[in-house]
Amino acid sequence: MSVLEQLGTLDIGTNEEVDETLQRIADEEAKVNERLESLLAKQCQIEAKMSGIGRSLSLLHTVDSDSNKLNDQIVNTAQLAESVSAKVRRLDLARCRASECQQRVHDLIDLHLCSQGVVKAIGEEDYEKSATHIARFLAMDQQLLRRTADDVQGSLTSVSDAVKTLEDATEKTRVLNAKRFDEAVKADDLASVERFFKIFPLVGCHRTGIEKFSLYICQKLANKAQKELRNAQDIAKAESRLQLAYADRLTAILENFARVVEVNQPIIEAFYGQASSSLIDMVSILQHECDTEVKNLLMEFNKNRQIQYRSKQVNESTQRSAGGGNLGSNSIQALGHYRKPSGGSVDKLNPKEIDAIIAEITVMHARVHVETCVPEKEQLDIMERYEKIMKNSDLRRQMQEILSTYLLLERYFMEESVLKAIGLDTYESGQQCSSMVDDVFFILRKSIRRALTTQSINGTCAVINNVAACLDGDFVSALKAPLKSGYPSGYIDLAQAYNAIQTTLQQGKLHSSDADRGRANFLVQLNNADISTEYIETLCQTMEQEIGGTFPQTTPVERQMLDSCLTELKAVRDALKATVDFGMQQLRSSVIKPRLNPWINQFLNYSHNLNEEELAAYEAGETFVQFFIVQLDGLLNSFKNSLSPRNYDALVSILATEVTIQLERAIKKISFNRLGGLVLDQEVRALGSYLTGATSWSVRDKMTRISQIATLLNLDKITELSEYWNPENNKEMSTWHLTPNEVRTFLTLRNDFRIEDIKRLQL
Amino acid sequence: MEDYKFLFKIVLVGNAGVGKTCLVRRFTQGLFPPGQGATIGVDFMIKKVEVEGEKIKLQIWDTAGQERFRSSTQSYYRSAHALILVYDISCQPTFDCLPDWLREIQEYANSKVLKILVGNKTDRDDREIPTQIGEEFAKQHDMYFLETSAKEAENVERLFYEIAAELIGQARSKDGSSSAAAAAAQRQSEGSSIGLGSFSAKAAQSNCCGGLASGGSNSSQGG
Repeated sequence: MSVLEQLGTLDIGTNEEVDETLQRIADEEAKVNERLESLLAKQCQIEAKMSGIGRSLSLLHTVDSDSNKLNDQIVNTAQLAESVSAKVRRLDLARCRASECQQRVHDLIDLHLCSQGVVKAIGEEDYEKSATHIARFLAMDQQLLRRTADDVQGSLTSVSDAVKTLEDATEKTRVLNAKRFDEAVKADDLASVERFFKIFPLVGCHRTGIEKFSLYICQKLANKAQKELRNAQDIAKAESRLQLAYADRLTAILENFARVVEVNQPIIEAFYGQASSSLIDMVSILQHECDTEVKNLLMEFNKNRQIQYRSKQVNESTQRSAGGGNLGSNSIQALGHYRKPSGGSVDKLNPKEIDAIIAEITVMHARVHVETCVPEKEQLDIMERYEKIMKNSDLRRQMQEILSTYLLLERYFMEESVLKAIGLDTYESGQQCSSMVDDVFFILRKSIRRALTTQSINGTCAVINNVAACLDGDFVSALKAPLKSGYPSGYIDLAQAYNAIQTTLQQGKLHSSDADRGRANFLVQLNNADISTEYIETLCQTMEQEIGGTFPQTTPVERQMLDSCLTELKAVRDALKATVDFGMQQLRSSVIKPRLNPWINQFLNYSHNLNEEELAAYEAGETFVQFFIVQLDGLLNSFKNSLSPRNYDALVSILATEVTIQLERAIKKISFNRLGGLVLDQEVRALGSYLTGATSWSVRDKMTRISQIATLLNLDKITELSEYWNPENNKEMSTWHLTPNEVRTFLTLRNDFRIEDIKRLQL
Repeated sequence: MEDYKFLFKIVLVGNAGVGKTCLVRRFTQGLFPPGQGATIGVDFMIKKVEVEGEKIKLQIWDTAGQERFRSSTQSYYRSAHALILVYDISCQPTFDCLPDWLREIQEYANSKVLKILVGNKTDRDDREIPTQIGEEFAKQHDMYFLETSAKEAENVERLFYEIAAELIGQARSKDGSSSAAAAAAQRQSEGSSIGLGSFSAKAAQSNCCGGLASGGSNSSQGG
């Protein structure tokens, strides 16, 4: 807003107003002056900048002209380069053509040479030379050759002539080579065979060559196998390896095949090319022959060893025993009848398993071999083909069949041998268990070991399963049978019974009463079951190690399969433990309980209301606990030598439990005074230390409750209880096994404690 | 210790080519791989499932149907909790062999093992064995019955889940406290195999069998 406009709007009627306006205008003026001054102050800065810009402007002109010049130069250079490279390209093309031309000329010269050489070579029967010529010819581009022939038609007709000659020669050589090869085969001239075999790839007949050569090898192998077949029997007889004759022969066959592949592999690679599938072709043909060969062998094997007849017998016998129903005595009696076939087959099991191993090992060996020679990256399809050949081969199938036979016979052998071991069970004096435990586990171990040597995970799993079944079935029921009938509790004293057993054992024959025999048998089987649990653990442990050694490279699934089967075997241990427990319960009800009863009843005859004199008299005479310990000692001693350590410990533990229960019951029936409580406490301590000393196990645990009862009854004053009751007051005391109500009940047994005081207790 | 409460072993048996491997693959991997080669010996798969709020590990043993593997596959029967006997509804011979299979099961398996008869390949339209015939056979021999198609994934899950549920029921009734049952199941000791027996199998079986059998007829009506 200009000052004039301001003036127009202002009211200047009065003096004051005029003054005021003047003042305002003066202010405005001052402000304007100020602004002007500040603008003027910038003038020289701006001028300096302007001059700077002016100077740069002239510089920029030079830059512009320079860059234009540069641009021109670059364009020139580019044009130059373009023309040069075009020339180079043309040159290159020309060079290519020239070399192609040269090649063609070379080809033509070679062609000429070859056509001449071939005729000459064929004439001279120099097959290698002619084949080399032909190979050279085949390496040429046939179409190109023909075109060349067309191009130069008229001037050089000999080109097409040469081609024709060579084509004829190729055909001729092929036929001739095949003929010569066949002749060589017929003449069994290995050197010639190899010579012509090497020519096949030169004349472009890879497939034919391989086929012919493989057939030749097959023929050779067949002959060899036959020769060996004749010799094998004699050699085996001479080296007393008759039962291994078939295994030896199988090994020989497979080794021959493996060797042939190994020997010919470098030749084939050298002459037929590394990347070609020739080797695989050969292997597949050979595999076929190998299958036939093995099949023949196995047929003979089956025939000679009467495998079918034996399997049939085995099957029949299992069916019979299954139909018979109750195992036990029946099958044991029948053992004698079965023994003949099984006795024979025991020896015979060896060749089969060894067959299987060797077959497996050799096949693996051959496979590993081929795998290493075939470059892995590009040759996946070939590998797959190879795997397929191996997988579908008759050999594999036959091995499966033989494994099946093996499993059948192995199971039969195992089951029958175990039954036999059970049937022939004997025990000697001084031994805690009888012969069958060692025998049975020896057999099972042998079976499993043998299964491992088959190198077959499936086979091993099956045998482990069978072992578990065998233990769980026949073996456990054999152990359990005498335990089920219980421990015969005759009227004679146990010590006597034990002596009777000892004498019978010493005399080596059983002529004492059935009860004695039953008792001895009971204890022996109880020990057998106990020892067996240990044996199973050992068996599993060694198995795991051996499996790790036999199958170092298992897949996770295979590992799981093996583990699962082993778990199954370990589970049998639980069955055995259950058997032991079962037997222990029998002992408890037929030995411990009835024996303890009268002894504990004695306790009631001893008064626990004593004064000082009576106490002295009591301690001078035979105390209850002395009597009791003597009795217990007698009882335990009668078992100590005839039970295995673990079983004995278990017996002591059961005894301790039973003693505390019955003693507690007896305590509740009588009343105590202060001195009576003292006596009881002493008695319980004595009992505790006796039982603890009787076993390596700690039975202290079982004594806790009864000791606490004794402590209660041994209190001086009822108020003392608080010292014991609170655990923080007394660290030695373990936690109370008694409920507050029980504590009150037991305290009432002290006839000098007042009911009101007991009721008043803060528990 | 892994976090499952029960471990059950299920063994599949039946003639070669009835689709045992496909059933197992379908269930464990959700695949139907056609053109599978014959199983060699025994194959082994594990699948963890949750049934009735319990975590369960199913150990499935897929056996080879071919005769030459028989002596190795038989050895797995004893420890099985459930045996699935499979036939091909479009192949009469596979059905005709069932009595032989039952004889084998009788001989080698636990007598109280859970047995399930399965007619596989319901997707095929050249059916030779009517559902009813299979059902009757199952009833006669005290087995459950179900028709499945591994290709169409029909009744496959159901087959295994019902087995799991039934086995849980048996394990629980055998042993009041389920934790102890788990321990027993894990060890697969004789305890568990005996336990299956002590369970009053008849009632539960007929109960569950009814369910499964009706399921079978439903599916046939659907088809």
